[in-house]
Amino acid sequence: MSSAPSRPAAAAWVTPLRSWAGSDFFVLVLSAVYFLILTPLAPGFASTGNALSLITSLLPLLLLAVGQTWVLVSGGIDLSVTATIALTSVLGGLAVNEVSGWLGSGPFAIPGAILLMLAAGAGVGFLNGLAIARLRMPPFMVTLTSLMFFSGVAVWLTQSQPIGSLPPTFTAFGGRLGWALPVAALLTWVAHLGLSRTVLGRWLYAVGQNARTAEVSGVPVRTVTVCAYVVSGLLAAVASLFLTGQAETASPVLGQRMLLDVIAATVIGGVSLYGGQGRILGVLFGVLFIRLIDNSLNLLGLNFTLILMTKGAVILLAAWLDGWRRQLARMA
Amino acid sequence: MDIPGRRRFNVLSPELTGIMNTRTFLLRSAAVVAALTLAGCDRPEPAITSTPTISPGGADPLTIGVAFETLQTEYWVAGLDAIKASAHRRNVRVLESVADGDANRQLEQVKNFINRRVDGLIIVPKDGKTVIPMIKAANAAQIPVVLYNRPSDPTDAPHTVVAPDNFAITKATVEYLIGEARKTGRKVKALVLLGDLGDVNAMGRRDGFEAAVKEAGDAIEVVARVPTEWKQEKALAGVQSAFQANPDIGLIFTSSDFMFPSIKSVLSSQGKWKKVGEPGHVILGGFDGDATAYQLMKDGYVDATGVQDVFWESDQAVQVIAEVKDGKPAPARIEDKGFVITQANLKELESRMWGAQVANRK
Repeated sequence: MSSAPSRPAAAAWVTPLRSWAGSDFFVLVLSAVYFLILTPLAPGFASTGNALSLITSLLPLLLLAVGQTWVLVSGGIDLSVTATIALTSVLGGLAVNEVSGWLGSGPFAIPGAILLMLAAGAGVGFLNGLAIARLRMPPFMVTLTSLMFFSGVAVWLTQSQPIGSLPPTFTAFGGRLGWALPVAALLTWVAHLGLSRTVLGRWLYAVGQNARTAEVSGVPVRTVTVCAYVVSGLLAAVASLFLTGQAETASPVLGQRMLLDVIAATVIGGVSLYGGQGRILGVLFGVLFIRLIDNSLNLLGLNFTLILMTKGAVILLAAWLDGWRRQLARMA
Repeated sequence: MDIPGRRRFNVLSPELTGIMNTRTFLLRSAAVVAALTLAGCDRPEPAITSTPTISPGGADPLTIGVAFETLQTEYWVAGLDAIKASAHRRNVRVLESVADGDANRQLEQVKNFINRRVDGLIIVPKDGKTVIPMIKAANAAQIPVVLYNRPSDPTDAPHTVVAPDNFAITKATVEYLIGEARKTGRKVKALVLLGDLGDVNAMGRRDGFEAAVKEAGDAIEVVARVPTEWKQEKALAGVQSAFQANPDIGLIFTSSDFMFPSIKSVLSSQGKWKKVGEPGHVILGGFDGDATAYQLMKDGYVDATGVQDVFWESDQAVQVIAEVKDGKPAPARIEDKGFVITQANLKELESRMWGAQVANRK
């Protein structure tokens, strides 16, 4: 048979291919290929200004995706992040605006407003986690209900009015890359360490893999679950700080359309929707890929509907490639 | 901790074993940021892929970036089409973007246009506040900005607003409706559908309505003011509730024509969907002049609507950018006086009603 001698040759290239396909860098390579293809087609895609704009818009999505990763790894899902963004943005705006801010214009106004936002974000996460862990309610239902409830609270607090007149120091957190980038990088790094180097991280994977087995093994499943949602809420609050700063406005509809991008970025980044699987580095690449698509399609000057269709198709293709490479990696 | 071994753990075992170390993570993350920045090292601007056009004078054609917040209603679609038609007539290239209601995304899209070094920007902002950073970014790049149909909140950043006089057009429309109410010889109960009160257009229309009814206390009693946030479902629920509380409502004004289907739905269910002049007719008026309103007026159900001159506004927006590029100063505001279309003047004015053109194209 002629096929028999070719087997060793095939194994020689299949093994490194499997190894590469299973690595976090698969999505980065996909992003690089996409970048190279689109550069001649999308004017301004490879300019410094566009790179800075891309990084600025990438940071809030990165923080949301990192928070979502903690939750997904633990076997849950957090659909309430956009409501957390809206609520914390509105609270921060109401606290710090220069016209009628609750905290006035003293030296503690801005730190106070940021603390309020972080506390509100953590609070939403805590309530989600508590309902899921203690009341054993499905994460999908709990966070969907939170999404509706806290979006409603944000609209009610502002009566649908966006809040302007925010102090420049407050908006600088999101508006200036020099401030936002180090904060986002630090938080991403800490989240990475938390997942990969701490006992809590190991517990999260264990709970996501099989909560019952983890519990029997002595993992404090409820505490771990609550922690995951609190981290997601906290990071959503920081993302809200960035988005509010970029728009120089606090708004009850801020970030309303980001949920799909967050889920897409985490899944493309290798996080399993079934729990127990995923790494922050992969998510970073997933976020980069999603932002590259959005950015390039805008620069192409395509019709809006065509952009939506193309984005959907590219994400689907990336998800399919991701599934394929996982299958390949499992065969290793 | 002892984790039961499973197939997928074997594949991704690093998750449970400490995975990559901190230094590796930092190095890899830094590599991504560096790659992005290096990729951004200014390269010669690639040629635009569409066929270049040359203006009659031989100069390079202008390129304008048109950033719409939404294309959710017919009005915005007609506006975008009218801008493109006006630009085409002037040999101006149009790049378009739609932010799908996301102010941060719109800011990024505007920055994309700036990075592409467009000659001017026409923006329909989400609201009057979030557009201010966009105007500032365009000012910093010395690109003229026109806000189409939605003004910004007060700001020092120079820009031009092309917008309808919502107050005057609404007041004139509602005054016509009040005149119709007076003809009934009784005091008529009225319902008003308000827009998103974060939108200055909605506020202008609300104020125009209130100014008109304030002078007509003898003929009109406003029994319901429904905030719709420009959402059809809220309009429907609001009209239903209002009719439950006040079944004898005899006049409805909607701050945008796109909410007429909700009104029709409720009136039909109550047996009150009657033509003008028929017994039991509820006096109906709106704002915009869209295709639905045109059809309903043509069919005899709607009494009047205030019309924004979309074609004129679009032409003015493109013209301002062309003039600024020619060195002329940009005006701060260009006001569309609009007009009121009624059952009496429909045939005479329908050629200027954008909704009529949309309806006739279908």
